[in-house]
Amino acid sequence: MSERVTRREAMGVALLTLAAGPVRVRVGPDGTVTAYTAKVELGQGALTELTMAVAEELRVPVSRVRLVMGDTGQCPDDGGTWASLTTPEAVPLLRQAAAEQRGGAVTPARQWRVMGTAVKDLRGQAVVTGGQPYPSGLRMEGMLYGHVLRAPHYRARLVKAGAAPEGVRLLRDGEICGVVSSDPVAAKRAAGSVACEWEAIPFSVAPSDREALKSSFKATAVAPVENMSARYPPLLRRGRLDDAREHERQASSYFLPFITHVPLEPRAALAVWRGESVEIRSGCQAPFAVRAEVARALGIAEGNVRIQALGPGGAFGCKQRGEVETEAARLARLAGAPVLVQWSREEEFTCAYHRPAALVEIESTVSEGRLTGWLHKNFNAGAPGLMTPYDTPNISCEFHRTAVPVRQGSYRSLAAVANTFARESHVDEWAARLKADPLEFRMRNLADERLKAVLERLRGVRGGLACTIEKQARIGLRAEVEVKGVAVRVKRLVYVGDYGAIVNPLNLRKQIEGALVQGLGGALFEEVLFAGTEQKSRWMSGYRVPRFSDTPEIVVELIDRRAIASAGAGEAAIILVAPAIANAVFAASGRRLRDLPLAR
Amino acid sequence: MALLTLTVNGEPRSADVKPGTTLLEFLHDYLAMTGTKCGCEEGTCGACTVHLEGRAIRSCMVTAESCAGKPVTTIEGLAAGNRLHAVQQAFLSFEAFQCGFCTPGMIMEAAALLNDRKPLTDGRVRLYMEGHVCRCGAYNDIVKAVMSAAAELRKDAGNE
Ligand code: FES
Ligand code: FES
Repeated sequence: MSERVTRREAMGVALLTLAAGPVRVRVGPDGTVTAYTAKVELGQGALTELTMAVAEELRVPVSRVRLVMGDTGQCPDDGGTWASLTTPEAVPLLRQAAAEQRGGAVTPARQWRVMGTAVKDLRGQAVVTGGQPYPSGLRMEGMLYGHVLRAPHYRARLVKAGAAPEGVRLLRDGEICGVVSSDPVAAKRAAGSVACEWEAIPFSVAPSDREALKSSFKATAVAPVENMSARYPPLLRRGRLDDAREHERQASSYFLPFITHVPLEPRAALAVWRGESVEIRSGCQAPFAVRAEVARALGIAEGNVRIQALGPGGAFGCKQRGEVETEAARLARLAGAPVLVQWSREEEFTCAYHRPAALVEIESTVSEGRLTGWLHKNFNAGAPGLMTPYDTPNISCEFHRTAVPVRQGSYRSLAAVANTFARESHVDEWAARLKADPLEFRMRNLADERLKAVLERLRGVRGGLACTIEKQARIGLRAEVEVKGVAVRVKRLVYVGDYGAIVNPLNLRKQIEGALVQGLGGALFEEVLFAGTEQKSRWMSGYRVPRFSDTPEIVVELIDRRAIASAGAGEAAIILVAPAIANAVFAASGRRLRDLPLAR
Repeated sequence: MALLTLTVNGEPRSADVKPGTTLLEFLHDYLAMTGTKCGCEEGTCGACTVHLEGRAIRSCMVTAESCAGKPVTTIEGLAAGNRLHAVQQAFLSFEAFQCGFCTPGMIMEAAALLNDRKPLTDGRVRLYMEGHVCRCGAYNDIVKAVMSAAAELRKDAGNE
């Protein structure tokens, strides 16, 4: 590791930053191009896509561009790597910066030569030979391995910690208690063997008791107020629901339990103190947000924290906060030496936040085959995906905040999963009740021509249907299933997506397939279980995630619209999986399933 | 603590380890051969797969001591110099990965599967690889890569 070079470079960039705003693209005297972004490669293809954007505008081959990602010491704050924003926000920023360097205007999509093509992942060679670096592989001279002592309970206070075995130091600073050692295995074994006394903090409501949780959501709900400038407005209204009062009415409610991310790489962070400043390398998704969090937790200025994010082995929304970074920084400060904290799989399950459970209630009206009123209430999960794509004159779509007994946070597509599952199931229930074809019923109620074009391509394809507009993309899915008793097997998925101008068709297809596969778990079998004061789902052997045999044939069809700005695509496909399968199960068996997981 | 020497990728490699240290810990933590990945430490994800005497094993499920005297091959030693193994080449051609964290384990498993050169079907590959998790969901691309590597190897065998 050439720390000194990195720091000198960082200083150079800092000076440039002062002179002319954030530096995004630099062309060296020898023609080498360096570009900077706070975005992080999570396996979603950001590295390749952003490199393509710079290469396109500077008219150089992709191999000439070096992209520095996720380093708060060198990169402008482009926001966290979340919400599929790299394509719609970071790509334009880098294109603009590169075009300015060239002294020209941004290249219109119709003239793209690099963008729009299937450039392969730039990490490929390193990935297949084992050379690609990941946070869990971070090492440095004099480094100690650290672990935080954990309670068997979901929440607990440490009353007393016993002694650490030989060769291991026990460290405590009030909020955390941990062990460190220069021997990795000694540290790991000690974390499990130090005798501790814990006082359990009970749950306010049992998280796995569905009825109790739903009642608690309703009892603690806070009605939303309009805020159209929010990224995800919590209240969307048009018309007057009262106008549709007399029309045919249908009401149903839907439930999604807590599920969790299970990134294949449990998180890790290496913290190094230099005087009053700390440098942390980790696999976080949001270096600047984590920098602020660590600074707050450690009581130091943000300027004294540098986060260098290294692409992790999967994230899916779970690595947005700085839990492990803060732990590493605390232990390193106490130890007076660099400390690597690497969570075990059990910690990844029990210490990280989960995807929120959701209760969604929909009440709607129809007149002459057209949806006339739509009241949609999401309790707890969130506002993303709240807006109906249907051309319904009177709507009120609401996100109600609630009290919740577990740590919850971001997960691929956020609440759009819950909102779309409820909405697309509900629409299907109408089609069944009116004895209409599900596709025709949707067509009749849609005004958006692009979404209708997506559905047109799914006409005649077998399987349960779901569609929506998500993050500016128009997407539709057919799921073909086999139902035997309560068992559901997905045989084939056919997906059509219109994401505007396609930046990289290869990467887009991979992201869609990956999101569909991940969606199978939440749709069919995933649920984090709790009992007493404990979380029961603690290991992969006790929490099923999709595997080879669960993965059906997947057909992805893309509509490339060069005249339309590119939409982000890392997430959206996941939201159609559960409703398409639930609708297929209904068509195959007459059973309408409104609670996930479906094959429970 | 005792000095343990194993033959890894044809070279003797030593580390001072506690009894009970797993092969995964020996490789990843003591030798800093981080190509072999740690995903679960309970044998359920396959990320730690290496070859022991040519057979694919979960390195988190065996002690390092028990591997003494048996050749260990990791992802770092699979290619012949600069020439990638057919499975590595196929994973690259089909881009059968996203974050890449499952990839070394998947490749090691598939390479062992292809050693016997029996004809493969899509279903047989899935069954054989079922113990491996790809959280990014690249399963179908991985199956395509393994099938194509098998075809490559058969072609090579035919030419020999
Ligand atoms: S780490 Fe060995 S199987 Fe998961
Ligand atoms: S590529 Fe990320 S786990 Fe397989």
